[in-house]
Amino acid sequence: MVIKVKNLVKRYGDLIALDHLSLEVKEGEIFGLLGPNGSGKTTAINCILSLLKYDKGTIEVYGRQMSPDAYDIKRRIGIIMQNVAVFDELTVYENIDYFCGLYVRDKKRRKQLVDEAIEFVGIKDFVKFYPKKLSGGLLRRLNIACGIAHKPDLIILDEPTVAVDPQSRNNILEGIKRLNSEGATILYTSHYMEEVEEICTRIAIMDKGKIIASGTKEELKGMINSGERLTVELFKTDSSIIDGVLNLPNIVSAEFDGNLLIVRSIKGKNNLLKLLDYLKSRDIDVGKVYSEPPTLNDVFLEITGKELRD
Amino acid sequence: MQVFKAFFKIIVKNLGQILIYIVVFLSVTVALTKLNNTADYTGFTETKVNIAFINNDEDSWLVEGLRNQLLKHTNIISVDDDTRKLQDALFFREVEYIVRIPHGFAEKFLNKEDVTIEKTTIPNSSREIYIDMLINKYLNTAKAYISYSDGLSGETILSQIEKDLAQETKVSMAFPTDNITLIEQRAFFFNYLAYALFAVLILGVSSVMMVFGKPDLKRRNLCSPLRQREMNFQLIIGNVSFAVITWLLLSITGFFLFGSYMLSLNGLLFMLNSLLFTFAALSISFLIGNVVKTQNAMHAVTNVVALGTSFISGVFVPQDLLSESVLRIGSFTPTYWYVVNNNTIANLVNFSTEKLVSIFGNMLIMSGFTAAIISITLVITKQRRTSN
Repeated sequence: MVIKVKNLVKRYGDLIALDHLSLEVKEGEIFGLLGPNGSGKTTAINCILSLLKYDKGTIEVYGRQMSPDAYDIKRRIGIIMQNVAVFDELTVYENIDYFCGLYVRDKKRRKQLVDEAIEFVGIKDFVKFYPKKLSGGLLRRLNIACGIAHKPDLIILDEPTVAVDPQSRNNILEGIKRLNSEGATILYTSHYMEEVEEICTRIAIMDKGKIIASGTKEELKGMINSGERLTVELFKTDSSIIDGVLNLPNIVSAEFDGNLLIVRSIKGKNNLLKLLDYLKSRDIDVGKVYSEPPTLNDVFLEITGKELRD
Repeated sequence: MQVFKAFFKIIVKNLGQILIYIVVFLSVTVALTKLNNTADYTGFTETKVNIAFINNDEDSWLVEGLRNQLLKHTNIISVDDDTRKLQDALFFREVEYIVRIPHGFAEKFLNKEDVTIEKTTIPNSSREIYIDMLINKYLNTAKAYISYSDGLSGETILSQIEKDLAQETKVSMAFPTDNITLIEQRAFFFNYLAYALFAVLILGVSSVMMVFGKPDLKRRNLCSPLRQREMNFQLIIGNVSFAVITWLLLSITGFFLFGSYMLSLNGLLFMLNSLLFTFAALSISFLIGNVVKTQNAMHAVTNVVALGTSFISGVFVPQDLLSESVLRIGSFTPTYWYVVNNNTIANLVNFSTEKLVSIFGNMLIMSGFTAAIISITLVITKQRRTSN
């Protein structure tokens, strides 16, 4: 086990930021910590890194109790903070070299690692730039390069794609998958369910400082009753249509969004066919039709009663 | 030594602002030295006071002798014997002393009766004493000859008096090769150094400390395997190196301006004094760097601390011209003790134990400031760490 957190409690006065949080990250996996803003993801990461004192619980990393002076454990960890933490006064190259130098003393080896990190995140053309001259996406890539240059065994990424353009986001996500394929264990936090769904092998969903569900994405989706989400473009909208659809088997909700009929169903067979048969029976013309499987947002919605991005 | 290297990279990035203070300091001190070195001071020059000499007595060898004696050391100005005109002459400083020989003076004096010479002077004039001394010296000598040399003629007595009074004592100046301007320049250079050092150190040190104190960078560094103790050690080495380099750079100008004087005991004391002040200024800069959070605040604090302490401690305005209450406030800053020492060292000729004890005592006070401020900074940083 790479990380083992048990019954972690962190209080800020009366506010409970972490409420008996427990999680385990296994070697070689990409573990996603998914939750809305303020759910306690960053607090959990800070506690794991011993940046915050906690009130109760235990944290083990690589089988040893984590503490501020656990320097041999820290040496194996790469951290990419939510806020970009680089020196504005140092160039891109100097920044990566500085952070890599905190872990690797040998100059020759360090130079090789820094060059590899620059290559890895694709910022070779910007090595002499100062951070303030970089775009948001490039800055995030620099932040990642600073965190991974020393080739850590465990990489903790705390919302690394916030305020990043799609191109850089894809680059970052691809990079994380590559790091994992090269042997690094990843702990990834985000409030973007698509990202977590795309790259994580196991996911824990957090809300109000608690893990409310965890497992693979398939396991998580299997925990809920929600089936697919059906979207049908109609050329005629009538409230009687909603009433009729709601009377169909397995249908949980139906509503119009403009001329789109959006229907949620519980698990069951042929829900889409039954809906289309009904519309045909009412002689209603149909345009485009989509059927989407349940998402992690549906999981979150069903468990907490609110949207992930609320 | 990643932190140490980063320290100097941050300094280099802020070099523009730092250089402004260094260039201003060098320009001002060099300009003042080069432009203000013409007024040579030769040690002692006799000046002649303008006086009026009014004789209401009859002409006699005694009065004529006095007049001639005064003429050697004063300028006798001719003023009509009219009260109003004499008062005007005094008021407009045409004369500073009026000697009036009363009627019957010579006769009474030769008969050994008590007599007085009337004098009118400018109130509180320091030169009054000088003229009094000249007159008293002449009359006392004359009285001695008249009392104890019976039978000598007036001419003989007069020639004896002139011979006696012509005798002079040779005075050697204690610092014959120096002049007042040079002494003032040295004191000014090292006094002004306090402002330049303070400004440069606050800017440099607080720029770096602010960067390392940024919450995100601080947390990022804490995640690394670099021990906190080692990180602090590298920061301290960086701070001390920067301070010593700044001190060397600024004080080395003194060697260009004052040459071999800087290798004299005075020069070495100046250097030691400025080095100890550098550490005191460094400790204050370190405190500011740990307290200040923004660039704007840093510039404001630089001006307030560097300029403020310089003004109240006698860097720009001589301490002699500052009021007692200002100096009392100034004495709560190391700059005050630094300036006191500079002024003492500049005028130091006789390296007496008393003088050296005073200088080293002031150096101890400066070192005390350094220790106290570092302790306060450590307490503040520790409190912050534990309150998190």
